Amino acid sequence: MADSTWTRNDRDTLQPAPRKKWQFLLAAALLLAAVVFVAFNALNAGGTQLYLTVDEYFEKEADLEDRDLRVAGWVIGDSIEFTQIDAENSTLTFDIVDDLNNPTQRLTIYAENEPKPDLLQHEAQALVEGRAGESGMFISNPGGLLLKCPTRYEEADGSADY
Amino acid sequence: MFADFGNSAIYLALAATLYSIVVMGIAQWVPSISPQTQRKLISSGRNAAISVFPLLILTCIILVLALINDDYSINYVRQVTSRATPIQFKISSLWGGQAGSLLLWNVFLAGFLAAAWISKKEERDLIPYAVIIGGLTQTYFLYLSAFPENPFAPAASIALDGNGLSPLLRHPLMIIHPPMLYLGYTGFVVPYCFAMAALLAGRLDDSWIRTTRRWTLTAWLFLSLGLILGGRWAYDVLGWGGYWEWDPVENVAFLPWLTGTAFLHSVMIQEKRGMFKVWNVILILTTYLSVIYGTFIVRTGLLSSVHAFAQSDIQWGFLAFVGFMLLFSIVVAIWRAPELRSENYLESLLSREAAFLANNFIILAITVIIFLFTNFALMSEWITCSALFSSRFECQSYGVGPDTYNRALGPLFAGLLLLMGVAPLTMWYKTSIGRLGKQSLWPAVAATVFGIVLFIGGMRRIGAIIGLWVVAFSMLLTLLEYVRGAHARVKSKQEGWFIALGKLFQRNQRRYGGYLIHLGVLVMAAGIIGTEFFQMEHQVFLNTGERASLGNYTIEYLGTTFLQSDDTSSAMGTVAVYDETGAFLTNLQPHTDIFDNGQGMTIPDARSTIAEDFYVILVNWENISENSATIRMYLNPLIQWVWFGGVIFIVGTLVAAWPDPLDEKIAAAERRVALATINNR
Repeated sequence: MADSTWTRNDRDTLQPAPRKKWQFLLAAALLLAAVVFVAFNALNAGGTQLYLTVDEYFEKEADLEDRDLRVAGWVIGDSIEFTQIDAENSTLTFDIVDDLNNPTQRLTIYAENEPKPDLLQHEAQALVEGRAGESGMFISNPGGLLLKCPTRYEEADGSADY
Repeated sequence: MFADFGNSAIYLALAATLYSIVVMGIAQWVPSISPQTQRKLISSGRNAAISVFPLLILTCIILVLALINDDYSINYVRQVTSRATPIQFKISSLWGGQAGSLLLWNVFLAGFLAAAWISKKEERDLIPYAVIIGGLTQTYFLYLSAFPENPFAPAASIALDGNGLSPLLRHPLMIIHPPMLYLGYTGFVVPYCFAMAALLAGRLDDSWIRTTRRWTLTAWLFLSLGLILGGRWAYDVLGWGGYWEWDPVENVAFLPWLTGTAFLHSVMIQEKRGMFKVWNVILILTTYLSVIYGTFIVRTGLLSSVHAFAQSDIQWGFLAFVGFMLLFSIVVAIWRAPELRSENYLESLLSREAAFLANNFIILAITVIIFLFTNFALMSEWITCSALFSSRFECQSYGVGPDTYNRALGPLFAGLLLLMGVAPLTMWYKTSIGRLGKQSLWPAVAATVFGIVLFIGGMRRIGAIIGLWVVAFSMLLTLLEYVRGAHARVKSKQEGWFIALGKLFQRNQRRYGGYLIHLGVLVMAAGIIGTEFFQMEHQVFLNTGERASLGNYTIEYLGTTFLQSDDTSSAMGTVAVYDETGAFLTNLQPHTDIFDNGQGMTIPDARSTIAEDFYVILVNWENISENSATIRMYLNPLIQWVWFGGVIFIVGTLVAAWPDPLDEKIAAAERRVALATINNR
């Protein structure tokens, strides 16, 4: 932020400086190129996630190996299972579906050494980042379990939306 | 009864807004009316616009009474409260749901507009246009509150109790975080109204900028507070050891903050050099549209977010409104563009103007990248599923994760931090390389020594070393600005150092308040670098008396106690924390609260120092017993710097926004000149 001293004694006295225009254009072009490079480099290195619903996941399961994925679905409450294997290892599994009222296929989410999120309960909407595991199993990334945080908790309509 | 009164107040507010628009339109555009009638109409329209605020306050009071009195005949009351909800949370559930949030949005907007119409009544030529522009925004949101998102809509069936407020919202920070965001959002409507009014009225001098500078800063302050408090709430309540996840709902609140920041810097070039006039109009227009877009994203649930806002059918109406305001603003800006020519030209790449331009460019680049990444899933779906590309691509939706955001934005934020330090060294028109080099040499040397010390100390993350070098360099340059200014006063005025520093702020609060904001951002940046690069975590199952370690800390599980209150049962674990020498540091008590409605909330506990937070949560509350528990530990280096920097930032904004008598005099003088010019036409 600059100072607020009110001086504008140069108005109408300055002339364009055309010989310097190319310098500004060059600087702007370089900056723009740098920004485009940074954005594309980030997209290449960080990658994009393929967003899928549960039914889409099963449709394309054969082509999903090694891809960075995010699946969305509604949690089936009685499938939630937390298992403490030993002092250092635990697993958390639960099933998600596209439509709680009319579930066609259930995708099992598998997470290792993840705390059970408070919002992981029946009818919660889950967004899970991870990769395809063995048939019907989706392996969550560390920290990849995203349960909808009810910043404005209201009754939802019970269908996943992508 | 509550519903009848509430609806009446909303409808009256909507009618008053429409009346003010119509009356102001007649006063401005019907040529046959006499000046006396015109004055009366303007006065009447202004009063009607001001009356919207008390009407909406009344609406809020009625809704709060309905919430407190458990009036479950109202659907909204049933959705967000229950009989067991404590009274403070019944009140805060006013913004615990979609309809209530939109009502609060309306109240704040009406409040800002009423304050602007009252305090700027001398802006006689601008007020009618500004009232119309503000009225259009208010009309749309009042329409939402009156019809599709009416908070007084009746419940479909009779119920004896409600659903209750989500446990995660039962937190003091969540009581103030949403209102701060809404205040930030709605505050930005005022400068937009005056910008459009100035264009419509042909008042193309700088007075609209001076008139709205404090409004812009106030909105920016509230939005900053909302963002910082939201991060702190996530850290304190969500139990994942972080505060920002590049979630769409977070991003859309950040966008108007970014464009508002660019605007606050860019207007200084217009004030000083009469340049970038079109650019400033574009920035305030973009900020306004970002506000509407943010509200649109949050309220329609269009983008998949971790934040669960109700999906809504209002998206097409929202799109139509955004489209209309965008089109209207562009048409007005293009119409006046020829008269908004710059009065001066950039002299040198090494000048303050060029530094501000670079600042704007980087902020805009950050804005565009965040916007594109946030909408990546929508855009990729539109493109791959469109008729044009469907033959070449499979119809798919792709998203962007936090890692991609960090990779793309990290270098840009570093560039911005560097500019924060260097830009204040530059002069208007032109700065010599020699002067710039001389002033920045020793800070650069000191920052480099700091970087080498970090490397020798074992830090091997090059990104972190570069980031901390930039922070140290810019921080030293900023602190030296204070030292130079105070030193000049000590020498010339024979003042003591503290008095000289105080006078520095008093004489030029905008400049030195601005530097304080920069310092706050730099301190926050250090905290963000610390947590992003060096956060550690470990989850472990422990029986009573067993120990586990993370970093230099060791914990011993001491047991869990179970507590019961009116509507909550809690499991509270206790762990003793020891340092690397085995010395006892403190006991931490993370706990899990289960509410009557079955929802749970995991509350972490932390040992905080200026160097790091040792943060502990109790995992898997169902299986814990008095003798064993699963504990998750996080080590968050420099996290307290984020919050401490936030405090400095807010103090700096308050200093910069505080009324400056000199600024007021200049604004009044400009107004007189402008009015005289218009009267002489």
